[in-house]
Amino acid sequence: MIWKAIGQSVTGTSHAATDKGCEDAVCYKVIKDSDNNEVLICCASDGAGSAQYAALASEYTTQQFIDKLSEKVLDGFIITEAIVYSIAEEVYEGLKNEADLKQVPVNEFSCTLLGCCITDNRSAFFQIGDGAVVRNDGLDFYTAVWWPQNGEYLNTTSFLVDDPSFKDLRVTIIYERVDEVAIITDGLQMLALNMDGGVVHQPFFADLFKVVRMAENEDEVGILQLKLEEFLNTSQVNNRTDDDKTLFLASRLPS
Amino acid sequence: MDEYISFEQIPFGSDNFAENPEPRCPCVLLLDTSGSMGGLPIDQLNEGVRTFKQELMQDPLATKRVEVAIVTFGPVTVEADFHTVHNFHPRELDTTGDTPMGAAINMGIEMVARRKKEYKDHGIAYYKPWIILITDGVPTDEWNRAAMNVKEGEASKKFAFFAIGVEGANMDILKLISVRAPLKLKGLMFREFFMWLSASMKMVSGKNPGAAINLLPPSGWSEL
Repeated sequence: MIWKAIGQSVTGTSHAATDKGCEDAVCYKVIKDSDNNEVLICCASDGAGSAQYAALASEYTTQQFIDKLSEKVLDGFIITEAIVYSIAEEVYEGLKNEADLKQVPVNEFSCTLLGCCITDNRSAFFQIGDGAVVRNDGLDFYTAVWWPQNGEYLNTTSFLVDDPSFKDLRVTIIYERVDEVAIITDGLQMLALNMDGGVVHQPFFADLFKVVRMAENEDEVGILQLKLEEFLNTSQVNNRTDDDKTLFLASRLPS
Repeated sequence: MDEYISFEQIPFGSDNFAENPEPRCPCVLLLDTSGSMGGLPIDQLNEGVRTFKQELMQDPLATKRVEVAIVTFGPVTVEADFHTVHNFHPRELDTTGDTPMGAAINMGIEMVARRKKEYKDHGIAYYKPWIILITDGVPTDEWNRAAMNVKEGEASKKFAFFAIGVEGANMDILKLISVRAPLKLKGLMFREFFMWLSASMKMVSGKNPGAAINLLPPSGWSEL
């Protein structure tokens, strides 16, 4: 085990109050490429509060992205910008089909997209909409790959199904080793990011990664996976956000 | 002797959160206090505004996020500039004067623009502002420019404008001013209206990604 990865999507208190259920989703996997090196793949998504099938959309999107990225890696491909676009197109088509089956407009399947595919010394990141992918820059400084994509108003952002030509899709390939990565949906933005200065709130991620680094086996990762859910449900967190929230953390650093 | 701590006992989490200012959700009430509102209508309106505050106070996030301002007309007076619900202390409104609705609308639009600039300057995130006009009469000033400003502001998503007509209001003129269909208040159900408004504001001030404006159905207080 090289990568230690945990991730949870938890229902926000406002959704719990209205019996809405969690409309965030997160999905991740560590696989081996043809050279027997570990590849970390993760995708998270926040279903739009206004969309009827928000939960279905985020679930479908994360699952499909993981499956299709894994397939490519196992087939020996290097994940490029073109591959991310082609997967986004397939997922768009899938969501469109679901919408057609349910006879609703495709925007009833609105959800954001956040993800990464990290190999030994090369990483692909992608995002549509708000939330953030955060990485350790190699000097124990946490930095957002992109700043959350909000419009003028906090409750406006862009979604995967907004545009079949994906003008809001951002993809970048980084040719360096990334040892730690985190993904948050917008429910945690006000806690994990300093909106004014435009920087990641360092202590938040430092506190969490400190313990993730200590995990030495699958059992300990399993313990952290449960503790992550507890943490996201604590009153300290809920006093600051009432939205669904997703937190994914992965580290391949020792403590 | 070192005490053995199992992995399970290691605390996991963080209480070191970013100190971001709460995002704000501004709302301007443009209230007609012309002579014709005298008597029971103004009493009910005052009661309604108090209810509005009480209802918002019951929601912890709305309490921190919703900012209310009041403009009365006429004459056009800023009764209360933007304040969060805690610091919003509505004064008992009296009736006086005529109905300079056009000037009041322009004042509301200016206040919203200024407030948004203040948010931006201080790095405060915000939701789309709401401007709510409540009147029982006919504008006694030039209102065409105000109507144009409302249309322009709605088209460029600067704010959402709602017009509520009380018995006696000229609904045809309100239709020319407001892009959204104006609603007619049933009798003097100000209290019910403000309960609806606070519930709608709570929905907006809680997170609702992608929703342009997610209003509750205006049931109970409006005539169909």
